[in-house]
Amino acid sequence: MNIQNFPVLAVMLLFLSAFLVEIFGSKIAAIRNFITIVAVTVSAALIFALIPAVLIKGEVISYWMGNWEPVAGYAIGIGYEVDALSLFFALLVVCTFWLSAVYSISYMKDDHHLGHYYTLFLMLSGSVLGLVLTGDIFNMFVMIEIMTFASVALTAFRNGTEGALEGAFKYLVIGSIGSSLNLAGIALLYAECHTLNMAQLSAILSGGLSPTTVMAFALIVAGFGVKSYMVPFHTPAADSYAVAPTAASMVFSGMVNKAGVYGMIRMVYIVFRAMDASALQMLLVIFGTLTMFVGVTMALAQHEFKRLLAYHSISQIGYVIMAVGLGSTLGLTGGLFHAMNHTLFKGLLFLTAGAVLKQAGTTNLDALGGLSKRMPRTTLYFLAGAAAISGIPPFNGFASKWIIYQAAYTKAVESGNFLYVIVTVAGLIVSVMTLASFIKVTQAVFFGQLREEHAHVQEPPFLMRLPMFLMALLCSAAGLFYPLVNRYLLHPAVDATVNVTNYIDKMMGDGYAAAAGVTNIPVQEVQFSFWDPLLWLVLFVVVFVAAAVVIMAGKGSRGRVLEEGAVADPKYATFFSGEQELYSQVGGSDLFWGFKKNWKAYYRVMDKLHSGIVTDYTNMAVIAVGVIVIVMFIFLI
Amino acid sequence: MPETAQYILWTAFYILIFPGALFTSVVGLFLAGVDRKVIAHMQRRIGPPIRQPMYDFFKLLGKETIIPHAANKFVFLAAPVIGFVSLAIIMLFIPIFGFTAVSGSADLIVILYLITIGGVALIVGGSASGSPYAGIGVSREMVTMMSYELPFVLVLLAVARKVGGSTLVFSMEQISQWQVENGHMLFQWSMIPAAIAFLLIIPAEVGMQPFDVAEAETEICEGPLIEYSGAPLAVFKLNTAMKMIIMTGLFTSLFLGQFRTGYYWADALLFVAICTVLTILCMTTVHAVTARLKIEHLFKFYWTIVTGLALSSLILVWLGL
Repeated sequence: MNIQNFPVLAVMLLFLSAFLVEIFGSKIAAIRNFITIVAVTVSAALIFALIPAVLIKGEVISYWMGNWEPVAGYAIGIGYEVDALSLFFALLVVCTFWLSAVYSISYMKDDHHLGHYYTLFLMLSGSVLGLVLTGDIFNMFVMIEIMTFASVALTAFRNGTEGALEGAFKYLVIGSIGSSLNLAGIALLYAECHTLNMAQLSAILSGGLSPTTVMAFALIVAGFGVKSYMVPFHTPAADSYAVAPTAASMVFSGMVNKAGVYGMIRMVYIVFRAMDASALQMLLVIFGTLTMFVGVTMALAQHEFKRLLAYHSISQIGYVIMAVGLGSTLGLTGGLFHAMNHTLFKGLLFLTAGAVLKQAGTTNLDALGGLSKRMPRTTLYFLAGAAAISGIPPFNGFASKWIIYQAAYTKAVESGNFLYVIVTVAGLIVSVMTLASFIKVTQAVFFGQLREEHAHVQEPPFLMRLPMFLMALLCSAAGLFYPLVNRYLLHPAVDATVNVTNYIDKMMGDGYAAAAGVTNIPVQEVQFSFWDPLLWLVLFVVVFVAAAVVIMAGKGSRGRVLEEGAVADPKYATFFSGEQELYSQVGGSDLFWGFKKNWKAYYRVMDKLHSGIVTDYTNMAVIAVGVIVIVMFIFLI
Repeated sequence: MPETAQYILWTAFYILIFPGALFTSVVGLFLAGVDRKVIAHMQRRIGPPIRQPMYDFFKLLGKETIIPHAANKFVFLAAPVIGFVSLAIIMLFIPIFGFTAVSGSADLIVILYLITIGGVALIVGGSASGSPYAGIGVSREMVTMMSYELPFVLVLLAVARKVGGSTLVFSMEQISQWQVENGHMLFQWSMIPAAIAFLLIIPAEVGMQPFDVAEAETEICEGPLIEYSGAPLAVFKLNTAMKMIIMTGLFTSLFLGQFRTGYYWADALLFVAICTVLTILCMTTVHAVTARLKIEHLFKFYWTIVTGLALSSLILVWLGL
């Protein structure tokens, strides 16, 4: 087997099995599941097989479709090209769809027309994988289109549920705006540079940007901004993530918006090579900060579990865009790390939300409570995910946020620009607000008092618990062993992003990059000074001893339950000031009243902006596109 | 590998004895005793002996631990321990004048997040008990946390900028070293608002009146702690006491870091003495003369006055003053 064929085989396999599922598996569940699992497993294995060559040896894998190699210095055919940046995102993508496919088997089994579901699912997986692996910008656009339409259809898959069609429609409208912007940008680029190959574009554009290419650049940045749900393009995310089947929501949040982030990084760093421009940095940082702030404040106001998670997706992507926009290697490392961590913890959180929806029948935070008694394992997985997203050490969210704060404040000190101080403070405050909104979910869903109608809720089946367990494990592992993550994943990816000569030469022939004036700068590996494995080891021993001491000293006892709800000894009952024990769950909308009261004016504005009317959303998107185009035109020419 | 073994032993010593768990607990309980004694005198009472919080701690350890029927047993018992461990570790990063157990390049952010864990442990433990009183307490504790976090972050950034100049410094050890060369941070006039802001943050972080809305004994029966008893309650009480030494100690390190006696034991004694004074100044006195705020007023107070103080310092420092 030639390793150069692996990326294209991985993508083809997914597309092929999408049709096979529809043809052979629309009636029989076993065939359907078999085809899906085999396809995602083999595809994931093919991508994992690229790790030694790309991430460790630093090679670039390339494949010309139909063996149409460049003629007279111009790339004509579609080329697949995998450098460390592509592979980094491809690994996130395959992990996400593999876990989601496993979860879907149990989660979706009561739905109808599952043949369609798996077809769309595999189409979506194949398109995102293709998007991150392709070296051709028009092929990228095609993949974006497949991705958008598969996502729209998946959003509307449970079209009996309230809001499913509405969410899909909003996604369709805003998503189409993004695709059109990309297409317009690509057309301008093709007119100007006569090529669609990203390696060659990078070499050509490194000579400087003309007004036409700046226009193309602005349109493409806006286009990928839509795809990554940057504020103010974020509106369809909340509506669609909340109503899509949860396994699909996890895919949306884990890889579809990562595809937007990937496109953004690929464009600003590699194709246009413009990240030295401070105006572009500030543009991305301001949009990123806005995104994380609006996302988290909106999440605080939600009382629907999946919708809340959707707003957190927006907010965390804001961190990534902000970090990437800083334009430093430290920022890029933090951004990529956070993108990876977001895939892990947000995937985990969506899966726990799915487990709650499947087992308890609702994700309304005002109608749940006390589920930890019935679903203890799910609760633990949820707590791990919540701790990770809130950046609590030693989980992975802490490590990546730590790097992002470092990067932002270093940028502030180096540039002397007070804006970056505000950005750093915003990052830290958004982190606390993230914690607050997950405390709200914890209190409203898993702790507090159990409702009568949920007295017999069960743990989800094994195939749903397995992906949650794996993701919780990965969240802790990435937090504990981040120097290894840095050395084998982040550093190669950052290096490939900043130094593109290999990427260009591999496609266009040796010496092409040098002729175009593209040179490499060695990238220093980021040092994690507070890392010390022995310290952690000692710490674990200490925690263990401390826990043992409390348990030994406490000899905790709890009452036997005699019958439904009644406890043997009243001392084990909840304290009610001597009143009769009543159902009195404090959760959901009741929490954080003191905060919301002080922010009333802000929420009134947000309420107006998130009107739910698609015309308003479109207007917001158009205005933002206008701002991006104008700013980039003024400062980049 | 004798060196590794020695290293592990030293780290274990740092975490368990000094300046970690044992030192922090003993001094924390001592400060809690001083607080009770002094406030008693302010109210013309004799008050309990200074050892009283220690007696209470050991008494609680011996009591039965009741796990309510509605609680999630694992989280309910694990929360105090997690809080305790994270608080014990914080002291490792805070230099006691000449002495630092662990130094890294970004201690300030690590400290910020570890302190957060202390609060989160209380919140999650209370939430896991299943009581509606705890639910209200959890909500208030979280809002309190959001309130003081903003000025806290601004103070830390101001200090980092002051020390770093044109480079970035988040290291406690370098902040301490800088003060040896340039005098106490407190006596830099541009840092005075930040120091006042920090002093105002301490009582909220520890949960002292008038900022004890989350535990409000007379109103919601100690909120998150309502269902706790026996050893876990003892650990939570200890955590509160440890926060007193950690927050005052952090202030001492950040703003009064010039003192050096040359002996570690003398440094430690001086450190404890300054922390005691700070405890009386910013917790006991304030406690004695104020009544509890409402949660929305608390939030407003921190996001306007305290944030304003911290921000003015940051801007002054940013302008090079």
